[in-house]
Amino acid sequence: MTDTTEQQTEPARIRVHGLEKSFGDHKVLRGIDFESRRGTSTVLLGPSGSGKTTVLRSLNVLDTPERGVIAIDDVEVDFSRVPAGKAGRRETGRLRAQSGMVFQAHNLFPHRTVLENLIEGPVIAQQRPREEAVAEARALLDQVGLGDRADSYPFQLSGGQQQRVGIARALALKPRVVLFDEPTSSLDPELVGEVLAVIKDLAAEGWTTVIVTHEIRFAEQVADQVLFLDGGVIVEKGPSAQVIGDPREERTRRFLKRVLDPG
Amino acid sequence: MRHALRGIVLLLLLMIVAPAAQTSTVPAAQASAARAPEGEQPVVRVGTEGTYPPFSFHDPRTQQLTGYDIEVIEAVADEAGWRLEFVETQWDAIFPALDAERIDLIANQVSRNDEREAKYGLSDTYTYSHGVIVRRTGDDSIRTLADLKGRTTAQSATSNWAQVARDAGANVEAVEGFAQAAALLAQGRVDAIVNDNIAVLDYLASTGSTDVEIAGNAGGETSEQVLAFRQDDAARLDEANKAITTLRDNGTLREISEKYFKADVSVPDGGDADLSEGREARSTWEVMGSTAWPMFIGLVKVTIPLTAISFAIGLVLALLVALARISSYRILSGLARAFISIIRGTPLLLQLFIVFYGLPQIGLKFDPFTAAVIAFSLNVAGYAAEVVRSAILAVPKGQWEAASTVGLDYRRTLRRIILPQATRTAVPPLSNTLLSLLKDTSLGSVVLLTELFRESQLAAAESNEFLALYTFAGLYYWVICVALSAAQKRLETRLDRYVAT
Repeated sequence: MTDTTEQQTEPARIRVHGLEKSFGDHKVLRGIDFESRRGTSTVLLGPSGSGKTTVLRSLNVLDTPERGVIAIDDVEVDFSRVPAGKAGRRETGRLRAQSGMVFQAHNLFPHRTVLENLIEGPVIAQQRPREEAVAEARALLDQVGLGDRADSYPFQLSGGQQQRVGIARALALKPRVVLFDEPTSSLDPELVGEVLAVIKDLAAEGWTTVIVTHEIRFAEQVADQVLFLDGGVIVEKGPSAQVIGDPREERTRRFLKRVLDPG
Repeated sequence: MRHALRGIVLLLLLMIVAPAAQTSTVPAAQASAARAPEGEQPVVRVGTEGTYPPFSFHDPRTQQLTGYDIEVIEAVADEAGWRLEFVETQWDAIFPALDAERIDLIANQVSRNDEREAKYGLSDTYTYSHGVIVRRTGDDSIRTLADLKGRTTAQSATSNWAQVARDAGANVEAVEGFAQAAALLAQGRVDAIVNDNIAVLDYLASTGSTDVEIAGNAGGETSEQVLAFRQDDAARLDEANKAITTLRDNGTLREISEKYFKADVSVPDGGDADLSEGREARSTWEVMGSTAWPMFIGLVKVTIPLTAISFAIGLVLALLVALARISSYRILSGLARAFISIIRGTPLLLQLFIVFYGLPQIGLKFDPFTAAVIAFSLNVAGYAAEVVRSAILAVPKGQWEAASTVGLDYRRTLRRIILPQATRTAVPPLSNTLLSLLKDTSLGSVVLLTELFRESQLAAAESNEFLALYTFAGLYYWVICVALSAAQKRLETRLDRYVAT
């Protein structure tokens, strides 16, 4: 699709190098390196405990790695050199502002209406004019098919609708990257489709996304790049057709077999 | 919201700092008052019970403070050129109040004894009386002081009569005034009372009670009643003594005495006091009718503002303490933990006494209302901090994470996302704290605050209508509590609007 020469001159949107992270004595990340180009979808696959969610949360600095570098466009943080206290928080805050996060359990603000959930970040944190934020929020709600639910409270929506609001809330921040942490794992099976459809649309529209998921078929369709993690390292990475369709590593094959043909 | 919080914190600081600053100016003000030219009379604060008829009590019709001691000190003030300010308090708090310079003298039938002679400046005698033993009518087992050995008497704990009873081998039950003592005796909860013959005669005459009677004299000695000053206050003591001499010489003391007792008690042998005519007796309904308004004023002017201000400040402090307690800074959370432990581990009454009677000894003196606000708001903070803390922790961790991913910092997350949700959990237990506080303000009666309960005490001491007046006071508290509970319910409904039910 994209011209090869242009790809090489433009730096990758996400650049991750040498990421290491421990929880107590347990080392969850043992040196993670990857890059994502602008407008691509990167899917992280791997068994539970492989570290994929920690990688994703590190991109938004919900987890703080001990070592390694994360850069999103022009904001780069070297975690081994982040100063303590306020200065450090300012630095990681700038990196966090580059991405929007969609949680497994949506984490909508229950005391705010759908619209208020969407404009909280733009108006309060980004200090954008309220009218502008409201107009954009309404457009986003239309986009995820919830234009008529702006004034509902989260508890009045179905699980799939709540997750679509969660996506719209992440998009309202106008992030460079949208992160999805198992966005369909806590949904009833019949609601999964509507959420995946929205994410596919985003990828098609040119959003840069990083997705942790267990939906292999969905990953196959949406991913430009698949990273397979196990034991805190990237075991295999490449285009989805290669990693999912024709894995080279034994560990990847075993995982895919287990997930695709359970029992 | 934010400004309101800041305003309350500022107000709190002011309340703490301003009176402290005031203390440093007080001695100067007193000094200049002493040197004041004629016409600008120095203010002298008089401590008295207000519940000890016929010496110090409220006239049931006018609610004015009056009585033998009151008229005497007013006459003394006329002679000495003082302007009086009366401070009414329970007997057991009177000497501490004098020590803490909350009052300048005591006019309340203070009996002369060696201990007081050593510690205070005592004036010339203005009343001679003798102690009597009071028993339940017909209880022949009690006739003399010797019969009190091993028995129980009801006295103000620090009074001279309590000492007489103790010396005779009696166990002393502490009470807050003679009327209460008489009630305990009539109910059979104590065996006897030792008190001033005049006070007893007044009680018998004004109540028409036949439940108790005078058994006999408590020893042979007469007792001398004096005004008490701080020991270093020789100037005022001297002025008072001169005035007493003048009043005795010109017959004023005799006149006042005969008005109350039909005898001259200002000399050692002025005849037997006769109070048989008594004070005017009134029906229970009349007493309640005339007390309703003072109690209402006590409620509106002291009880409710004290509750509201203490609760508001207490909540702000509670939030700060709760955040400190949750904080990852060890020192901060340790301090918060210690504060909560101390507040919850000590009696509220004790905290109140420390602020009001204790702190003045290190130079921190607050007026009664401020002292009560400080003690009550710290107490509320100690209890509410744990409520607020658990309410904050009950908000799912995902809410903190979601707030930070949309770019909110710690303070905005707290204010806009966490606290609104924590409020829902915290409202029911905090309502309990508020209701407790409202009722706890009745303890203000022991730090010179004339609040709702104190008004009922005053009226009860004068009229002996304990059941009616305390029930009446309870009704006031209950009505306010019912209103607060209704408000709580409405608030809960409002906060539940975003929750599936």
